[in-house]
Amino acid sequence: MSVHYGDPQIAIGVVFAVLALVLAVAFLVIGVQAGSEASDERVHRVGYWLRKRWLALLLVIGVLVVGISLFDLPYASGGPSGRTVVKVTGGQFFWSLAPDRVPVGTRIRFDVTSIDVNHGFGLYDPRGHLIGSVQAMPGYHNKLDLSLNQAGVYRIRCLELCGLNHSTMQSTFTVTRP
Amino acid sequence: MAATATTPPSQVTHPRAAAFTVEARGIERRIGLLFAITGLALVLVMGVLGLVMRLTQATVIGLSPGWFYRLLTLHGAGMITGVLLVTMGALWYVLHPTVPLRPGRMLASYVLIVAGALGVVIATLVGGFGAGWTFLPPLPFYPAGQWSTWSESVFFVGNLLVGVGFFVYCLDVLEQTTTRYGGLVRTLGWQFLRGREQEAPPPQAIAATVVAIDGLLSSAVASAILTGLLGRTYDHTAAFDALVAKNLVYFFGHSMANLSIYLAAAAVYVLIPRYAGRPYETTKVFVAGWAGSLIFIATAYSHHIYMDFVQPTWAQIGSEIASYGALIPVAVVTIYSMTMLVWGSRYRWTLASTLLYVGLAGWAIGGVGAVIDSLIPINFRLHNTTWVVAHFHTYLILSVVLWCFAFLAHLLERNADRTTSRAGRAWTITLILVGGYGLTGTWFLEGVLGVPRRYAVQPPGTSGYSLAGSIFALVLALGFLSLCLQLLPLARAAWERRHYTLVEHTDSWTGTRYQARITRGAEEPRPLETPTSAGVPLANPGQLALGAAGCVVGLSAFFPQVIDASEASIRYHHLDHAGHFFVGVMLGLLLGSLPVISRRLGERPTLGLTAVIAAPTVMMLVMVPRFYEPLERNTFEHALFHLAMATFGLATGLGATRLGRITGRLAAFLAVSMAVMFAAAMK
Repeated sequence: MSVHYGDPQIAIGVVFAVLALVLAVAFLVIGVQAGSEASDERVHRVGYWLRKRWLALLLVIGVLVVGISLFDLPYASGGPSGRTVVKVTGGQFFWSLAPDRVPVGTRIRFDVTSIDVNHGFGLYDPRGHLIGSVQAMPGYHNKLDLSLNQAGVYRIRCLELCGLNHSTMQSTFTVTRP
Repeated sequence: MAATATTPPSQVTHPRAAAFTVEARGIERRIGLLFAITGLALVLVMGVLGLVMRLTQATVIGLSPGWFYRLLTLHGAGMITGVLLVTMGALWYVLHPTVPLRPGRMLASYVLIVAGALGVVIATLVGGFGAGWTFLPPLPFYPAGQWSTWSESVFFVGNLLVGVGFFVYCLDVLEQTTTRYGGLVRTLGWQFLRGREQEAPPPQAIAATVVAIDGLLSSAVASAILTGLLGRTYDHTAAFDALVAKNLVYFFGHSMANLSIYLAAAAVYVLIPRYAGRPYETTKVFVAGWAGSLIFIATAYSHHIYMDFVQPTWAQIGSEIASYGALIPVAVVTIYSMTMLVWGSRYRWTLASTLLYVGLAGWAIGGVGAVIDSLIPINFRLHNTTWVVAHFHTYLILSVVLWCFAFLAHLLERNADRTTSRAGRAWTITLILVGGYGLTGTWFLEGVLGVPRRYAVQPPGTSGYSLAGSIFALVLALGFLSLCLQLLPLARAAWERRHYTLVEHTDSWTGTRYQARITRGAEEPRPLETPTSAGVPLANPGQLALGAAGCVVGLSAFFPQVIDASEASIRYHHLDHAGHFFVGVMLGLLLGSLPVISRRLGERPTLGLTAVIAAPTVMMLVMVPRFYEPLERNTFEHALFHLAMATFGLATGLGATRLGRITGRLAAFLAVSMAVMFAAAMK
């Protein structure tokens, strides 16, 4: 389990920490000001003026982040088109991958399903960093397209509660050097 | 001897608050206390279970994975039930003074929910059930030797009872608010929003109506999937569509957890103004915000299904928009408006008011964590990591649970007419904030590192985070212990003040003046209004004609060709059964709405309520292949079964006509929807 410079999770954590801190300070300031006396008229005038801007800001941020997110959806579409298909099957409490090794840089399509209950296919790179996840569902095939450009042993952990040995349901996937 | 009762002004609320505060009656206090104490007791016990699980992950104690998952399941279900109970009581307390809710319904709801919680306790602790409180089908039927079959049934029945209890509550709230304010559109303030009316219902009534509608939707979904699961326990040939079942489970699971916050928010609208001395009034922005919440609460749930890539992409994007959209009313209306009320108000800092204010921050900070995770590319990297645990614990522990305690503290402070010491409050709040944010902080950090959630055994090298989390959890536990210790003397003072009153006494012999206490007499300052049901679902000839048309169209489900075609799959077969049920419902609505029949039926709201709950449930319970397949070999028995489906519908439709115009229509609609959802979830 680790994160490294450049991993998206670092940016996510920092953004959250900054926003949480800003909110904490805002609530502290408002809490201190709560003891003072301001006229209702002034509070309404300033408060409603600010609220319009606050609403506009949230809408702009919303359009931006939701809009940008649409360019990075993980959902695979269409046929594999030259990708190496890796059949992934989850079951209580194992993972089966075929093939279980590919050369570095291979464009892969993980075809993920389950033979019993819902499982979560969580793929960790050789440094222990979570690349992403997709659900393994009985009766369905979820398809995830990835290119693994780092050689080494990738670890798969189950990311959906699947029963008694959920936390030990692991496997590996090897990306070999050319 | 002369004696005069003294009634000093309130020491706890803002002096200006007296102008807009409606004094609570005995019934409101008693029901509020019943729900608050029961719910908080449950929350505290579940909190201890949470600590035990965190200590297990830290390898401080050696709980087996089997027990870990039992506790995990109980902790989740128990916490949601606990906070739901308190927030239901809080909303009832603030709504009842202006809307005459039925105490009988509230107590029925209480009994059902407590019985359901007891079922979950037995299923997990005795039966070993450990599929998580979200019990994603088909996991409950793959126990891997961990739990027994009977525990599955008891768990499903327990959850079903909780759902039915909440349904009873929501139905009464919706019936009474829409009756009191003259229809759904008026009650939601939409006439006011469009400028057609000068006044709108108070904020708590609008919020309560929204919560009731979404609560009814999620309870109906819960009934459909839980009844299906219950059927599967006695018919192993029944199978679920994993994607549809997941949608249904998360629809009600997410909504129930979410609704507890919105229920609490409705109470906060009434309680914070009492300490700020400024009334909170309905504005157009408020109405628009809650109209948004009505949609977003019901549609945001599917962000839990982002990583199920087979869910249509349009639904995933819609859910992302709804998840972000849900933030807007919360941030712009509720949290912002409450801080506006507090700003420069000479806010009265008491135990309750401090918890109320601090809870606003918890909702805001936890909400940011939730919104970040609701973006699909980010969820791809955080899905089912401890980030999820972090954000919902932030707004549950540090917002909803604090508001739950704030509600109890408010009741006690008002009755005791005093609060706790400033130093005691400061210590308590500090312990809770340090422990709470420290605990959720460790989960946020682990989430960034990619540590999966719900692991009985943590991945190598990460138990240190669990140990740090456990230490913070202990600090948090100390904070809540301190909070309880502060509430106890308040409770005692409240009890004494409620039962005795101080009188100025002058001794006629010596002339000495002193204070003595005498037993208070019964007081009921305001008379209770009688709740009523208004109208029937099909109120005019046009609507009756529409009902008749529905019946005629629905009759097509009885055509032999349609019945034969429906044999193509279990799903279509069940859909045909739903069609028969629909015909019965429409016929029941039609007959029960006819003035001549309606008069003969009379006002029977309890019978009506029982019918709309029991008839669809039984209908779904018998809709399993093991039950109906033997009947299909005989044409007469087969026809009788289809007729029985319609009869269940008839009972539902007739029952719905006893519930008023709006609630009757909604109850009938939900019953038919349940049958359709049930059909869709099976394969």
